[in-house]
Amino acid sequence: MDFDDTPAEAAYRARVRGLLEQHAVDLVHLDAGEEAADAAQQERALRRTQRVLAEAGLVGVSWAREHGGRAGTLAQQAIVNQELARARVPTLINHIGLGMCGPTIVAHGTPGQHEKYLARLLRADDVWCQLFSEPASGSDLAALRTTAVREGDEWVVNGQKVWTTLAHVADFGILLTRTDPDRPKHAGLTMFVVDMHAPGVTVRPLKQMGGQSDFNEVFFDDVHIPDSERLGEPGEGWRVALTTLLNERVAVGGGGNDLGLSVESLAALAADRVPRLPADRQVLARQAVGRAAVAALANRYTGYRRYTAISRGGLPGPEASAGKLAGTAAAKLVADAGVRLLGEDAVYSRGPDGDDGRWQRNQAWLPGIAIAGGTDEVLRNIIGERVLGLPPEPREDKTAPFTMGSRS
Amino acid sequence: MNFELDDDQHAAAAGARAFFTGSASAADARRALDGGAVAPGRKALADVGFLGITIAEPAGGAGGRVLDLAVVAEQGGTVLAGPSLVTAGRAAVLLADQPELLAALADGSTAFAVLDGPADGSAPSMDAAGADTFLALDGGALVVGSGEVTAGTPMDATRGLASVRLTSRRVLLEDAGARWVTARQVAMVVLAAEDLGAAGRAVQLGIDYAKVRTAFGRQIGSYQAVKHALVDAWVGVEQLRSLVWWAAWAADSAPAELPLAAAAAKAFAARTLERAAETCVQVHGGIGFTWEHDAHLYWRRAKVDRLLLGDEAEHLDAVAELVLAGALQR
Repeated sequence: MDFDDTPAEAAYRARVRGLLEQHAVDLVHLDAGEEAADAAQQERALRRTQRVLAEAGLVGVSWAREHGGRAGTLAQQAIVNQELARARVPTLINHIGLGMCGPTIVAHGTPGQHEKYLARLLRADDVWCQLFSEPASGSDLAALRTTAVREGDEWVVNGQKVWTTLAHVADFGILLTRTDPDRPKHAGLTMFVVDMHAPGVTVRPLKQMGGQSDFNEVFFDDVHIPDSERLGEPGEGWRVALTTLLNERVAVGGGGNDLGLSVESLAALAADRVPRLPADRQVLARQAVGRAAVAALANRYTGYRRYTAISRGGLPGPEASAGKLAGTAAAKLVADAGVRLLGEDAVYSRGPDGDDGRWQRNQAWLPGIAIAGGTDEVLRNIIGERVLGLPPEPREDKTAPFTMGSRS
Repeated sequence: MNFELDDDQHAAAAGARAFFTGSASAADARRALDGGAVAPGRKALADVGFLGITIAEPAGGAGGRVLDLAVVAEQGGTVLAGPSLVTAGRAAVLLADQPELLAALADGSTAFAVLDGPADGSAPSMDAAGADTFLALDGGALVVGSGEVTAGTPMDATRGLASVRLTSRRVLLEDAGARWVTARQVAMVVLAAEDLGAAGRAVQLGIDYAKVRTAFGRQIGSYQAVKHALVDAWVGVEQLRSLVWWAAWAADSAPAELPLAAAAAKAFAARTLERAAETCVQVHGGIGFTWEHDAHLYWRRAKVDRLLLGDEAEHLDAVAELVLAGALQR
């Protein structure tokens, strides 16, 4: 057990830090929680940032060389993540592609798909999105209704997806469809790669409760997809989707990464705000900061354990669900402690004295994290049944045919 | 970075599990409440080498690390073993330059306890009820002596809690404040490790019962209300494991991080064991509220341990103070 860098890791870290300094003028830099002024300009800048990082060898560090990666270790990837955060480089624009779509294509795609997509994904030449949830199937994902019907060498897709992060800027998506409604719901699904610029694809941004527009609804009207863009066999879509979902729960919190503003951000805020409080309120504020810090540290070190396990050849398992669950809870403690430190300043969504509203935005963003990629409740079912071995609830929908007419 | 036990530590955990399973149980903890002996007892712990894990080899110990001790302590916690390895680990730090006393600690020939609070009338201190030789901080000096022991009516008899008034004292080290603080932090880590074991067992008892007990026609573990309560308790245990290992590693390899890590582990342990034990009682329903069932013995351990070596509020405040002073900037 050792949390310090090995000599090799320290050398790698120094090299990464040097590269980030060398390319600093070409990278976007933002403080945690800071918002860019112009969204379109920011998109271009973020694409450039990822391309520059990819060309410097800092994207897809642990991916295989044949897929455009560097065949490095997960520890090296973790070092890159830490150094990017240290250099205030915001989340890579293709984070959905890197965390979820890419690993799914690696696991289930053909060599042709590997060659066509993966290197461009790493460079953000193409931005990716994940088209899973629908208006009538969120937690019950396998109840989805978007259909794909085979016509010769093509499939014709009709239906609607929703809560699709990045769809408004995406070039490609992985799309889960129903191809056989007469089979039980999990058995009649098929996954595709869809060109988001294809005729019949319509993207409409949705406005979130916090006012931002990160996600979208996506409509498919007679969209034609070549059979060569199928991911996995027809009817195997659920198995393919599980690869995506397991990676999602590692990408979102399961690796112990911070969700929302970090405990370090809270420490900086508290160092400024706590001394200004009356003595009796300082005691209460310190309890809140202490509780949030302990939860955040517990989650961070649990993530390190998971990294160690995965780096020794393990696959992300259902345990990663515990990381997202605990990470969300810790993030909420951090967020709430931060907002309460602002006191009356937090009754406005943007404060008066130089405060840019990042804690208020963070507060309004976190409810989505407790829903996205598996709600807290679904994650508890997964952990209870797949890790603890508790019995599932009786379900008829797993075996009955998913006839589109009788769906509820 | 490598955050996993090594093969030797896994083997040590398995060995400790076998030893503790065969030498102590919740039933012993119940009998101790009626005046029975604490199990496995000091002699057995000494014979198996657990009292000297962190004592140097020349002084009769195993020359191990705090992490080695924590791994064994977790297993002791699962069966509510006593006396506590907290006492052994803490005394080993205090007696670092006292080879004769260390040898007597390791071989169990002397029953040590470490006193919290004033030497002239201590706070309730762990394992003092069965001890004859006491270590205390007296006016900034580390002293050893004998004393007059006053045990209260125990909530958890395995903890051997008693107040002590020293009747003789010999100074071992002047200006011992820094060593005393470090020893207490190591004690917090080992206590958190014992709580980790106890919490894990309490959750497992609940899981096992939820798989076999039926109500309204199916196993109660299939109901989300029961399932989710157990999951939350289990997630807490796994998060606590990370803090315990980090804190033990810090004690061995990164002393500058020990104050933060020990306070975090102790604060989190208090809440985690309490939730695990309360969930265990609740999932069992009426049977979990009986004297005969083991659930209340874990509950008792939780309600006592959360107050020992500083409560959650003390340690959360310590964490906040360190964080505000920049302790997260490694």
